[in-house]
Amino acid sequence: MNRKTARLAVHSFKALTRFRLRSAFLMLGSLVGVAALTFVLSVGEAGERKILSTVRQLFGGSSILVITGGGRLLGGPRAGAARMTLADGEAVVGELPEIEAWDPQQGLSGEPVRRAEGSGTGSAASTTARVLGMSERSERVWDRSVSRGEYFDAAAVAGSARVALLGETVARRLFGDEDPLGAEVLVGSVRFRVVGLLEPFGTDLHGIDRDDEVVVPISTLQRRVLNVDTIQSFKLLVREPSRIDATAREVKRILRERHALSSGQPDDFTIITAVEVQSMVRKVERVLFLYLPLVAGVILLVASAVAASLMLSSVSTRVGEIGLRRAVGARPADIHLQFLLETAATSLGGGALGLVVGCVAAEVVARRMALGDVFSWQAIFLSLGAAALTGLLAGVLPARRAARLDPAEALR
Amino acid sequence: MIELEGIGRTYTRPGGSPVEALREVSLRIERGELLAVVGASGSGKSTLMNVLGLLDRPDAGRYLLDGEDVSRLGVNEQARQRNRRIGFVFQSFHLLPRTSALENVELPLLYSDRASIAGLGARALEAVGLADRMDHNPSELSGGQQQRVAIARALVNEPDLLLADEPTGNLDEASAGEILEIFHALHASGRTIVLVTHDPNVAAHCDRICRLEGGRLTSDQRRSRKSSAALAAREGA
Repeated sequence: MNRKTARLAVHSFKALTRFRLRSAFLMLGSLVGVAALTFVLSVGEAGERKILSTVRQLFGGSSILVITGGGRLLGGPRAGAARMTLADGEAVVGELPEIEAWDPQQGLSGEPVRRAEGSGTGSAASTTARVLGMSERSERVWDRSVSRGEYFDAAAVAGSARVALLGETVARRLFGDEDPLGAEVLVGSVRFRVVGLLEPFGTDLHGIDRDDEVVVPISTLQRRVLNVDTIQSFKLLVREPSRIDATAREVKRILRERHALSSGQPDDFTIITAVEVQSMVRKVERVLFLYLPLVAGVILLVASAVAASLMLSSVSTRVGEIGLRRAVGARPADIHLQFLLETAATSLGGGALGLVVGCVAAEVVARRMALGDVFSWQAIFLSLGAAALTGLLAGVLPARRAARLDPAEALR
Repeated sequence: MIELEGIGRTYTRPGGSPVEALREVSLRIERGELLAVVGASGSGKSTLMNVLGLLDRPDAGRYLLDGEDVSRLGVNEQARQRNRRIGFVFQSFHLLPRTSALENVELPLLYSDRASIAGLGARALEAVGLADRMDHNPSELSGGQQQRVAIARALVNEPDLLLADEPTGNLDEASAGEILEIFHALHASGRTIVLVTHDPNVAAHCDRICRLEGGRLTSDQRRSRKSSAALAAREGA
C-alpha cells in the first residue's frame, strides 16, 4: 500500500512537469498569496518593533507632553492662538516637585539651511530641514544624544549661542563626505557653528525623517531666528510613573490658571501622557496584526478559489484519462489522492516561490523605511502553512469530482 | 470462464424515457476463446463490454468470472479485479499525452499490488514489437503503433481476459491488419479475447460471433478455426 502510494506520488509529480503551463498557472495563485502574506507579516512585525522602540524612546512611561493649542493627538483643529511660553513650563516645574526634568521645544519646518560661504572647500550647498530649538536638557529628556562632537550646554542656552547640532541627513546633504564639525551653516540668514552630529534616528511614527533636523538652543531660535517668546511644546519627566494621571491633572490646572481660562472655555493646550500614546499604539497594532493579515488571507482565499477552478477545468479536460485509470485498476481513492497531490504540490511549490518573493520585497521595503531586520520565522511558517491549507482546500472539490466520475461514462 | 445469466441493464436519463441497453443476455465464454460481439450502434455492445469489464453494473442477472459473482463486488474490489484479470483496448487508444510509451504501458502497474514492477513494461512493449519506441511520446507514433502501445498496456499485468472495443476503428487497413495479427497471436497463446466491433471483416477473424440487436443476443455462431475460411467463402457465394 505504501509502495503503491509512493509510486502514485512520483507519477503525479512527473505528470505536473509535463503540463508546465497549467502547473505554472496553478502555482501563480498561491505564489501571489504567499508573497503577500509573507510580506505583510514580516513587514508588520518589523514595523511593530520599530513603532514600539520609537514610542519607548520618544515617550517612555514617565513622560508628559504639553503642546500649545487644543485639539487631539493625531490631527484635528487646534483652537486659540499659540500663547504658551517658557514661563508656563517653568511655573509648572516650580510648582510640582514630582517632575524630575523637563525640556521646552520650539521649531519650524522647511527652513532653508545652507553652508556658509567660505566654510569648507566645496561651493555652498543648500537644503531645507526642520529646525528645532531645545534646551541642553533635551539630550536626556528626549533620550537623544550626539554621535560626534558635543551637545550644547546650559551656558549656550542662557547666552543664546549660535551653535547647532546637525542630523545625519542634513550633514550628508550639505557636507557630503566632509567633516561638518566646526563648519558654519546659515539657518535662514543666521550663522551657526556646527558643534555636534545627532545620533541617527530614522523615520518617526509620522513618517518624518528625524535625521533631517537641525537642533539649536531654544533661546537662540526664539530671539535670533523667529523673534518670538512662545514655545510649541514642553516635555516633562515625572518621578512616579504610577501617579502620571494625577500629575497631568495638576499640570492642566496650573496652565488653565496661568492662561486665565474660565470654566466654560476649552483648553488652549493639549496634554498627552503615556496612557494616550499606548492606546494609539494599540490602534496601530490592531491594524498591523488584524487587518493586514486579513487582507493577505483574502488574497490566499482568492488564490485558492482560482486554483480550485483551474483544477476543476483540468479534471473536466482529463475525463478520458480518469476513465482509463479507473479501467486499468485505479480505485476512486487513488484518483482522489492523485488530484489532491497535484494541487498540493503546485500550491506548495508556488508558495515556496512566493515566500522568496515576499521576503525579498519585505527586505527592500525594510531598507527603504529603515525598519531593521525583517526576517521572521513566524511569517515563513504561517505563510507556508497557509499555502498548504489553501492547496488542500483548492484540491478537495476537484479531487472529489474526479474520484466520483463513472468510469464507463468517462471512457465514452 | 465467463458466465452471464440473464443480464439486464437499463439507463434512466433525466428527461428521457428509460433505455434498455441489455435485455436478458446470457452468454458463456470458455477460456481461450476469441469471440466477436457485433451489432449496429446502439445495440448494446458497448454496454456489454462495460459489464464484462466491471466498468458498469447490471441491474439484473449474474456475472460469474471463474465461478465468482463479480457484478456484486464493491467498487474497490472491482478495481482490483480489473487491474489483475482484465485488460482493455479502446478505439481511441486512450494513451496519456506527453508520456512515453513505456510509462503508458506501466500505468496499470501503478495500481497493482505487485512488489516488483521492474522490466514488465519493457517486456510487454517487446511483445508487440515496439522495443525501439519505448521513449517515444504518443504524438510521435503512428496510429497502429499507438494501438500496439495500448495493447502492451492491456497485457502488462498478465490478465486472463482481454476486452477490445473497436480496436481497429481508427486505423487504416494495413495497421488494422497488424493489430488483428497481434490478437491472433495472443489467441494462439491461449488468451481469452472479446472483441467488440461493427465491422464484419474484423468479426470474420474470430471463431465465435455473437450478435446483439436492441439489447438482445440474437445469434451465437461458433466455427472451428479451420472451417472459418471456408465458412467465409460459403457466405460470400
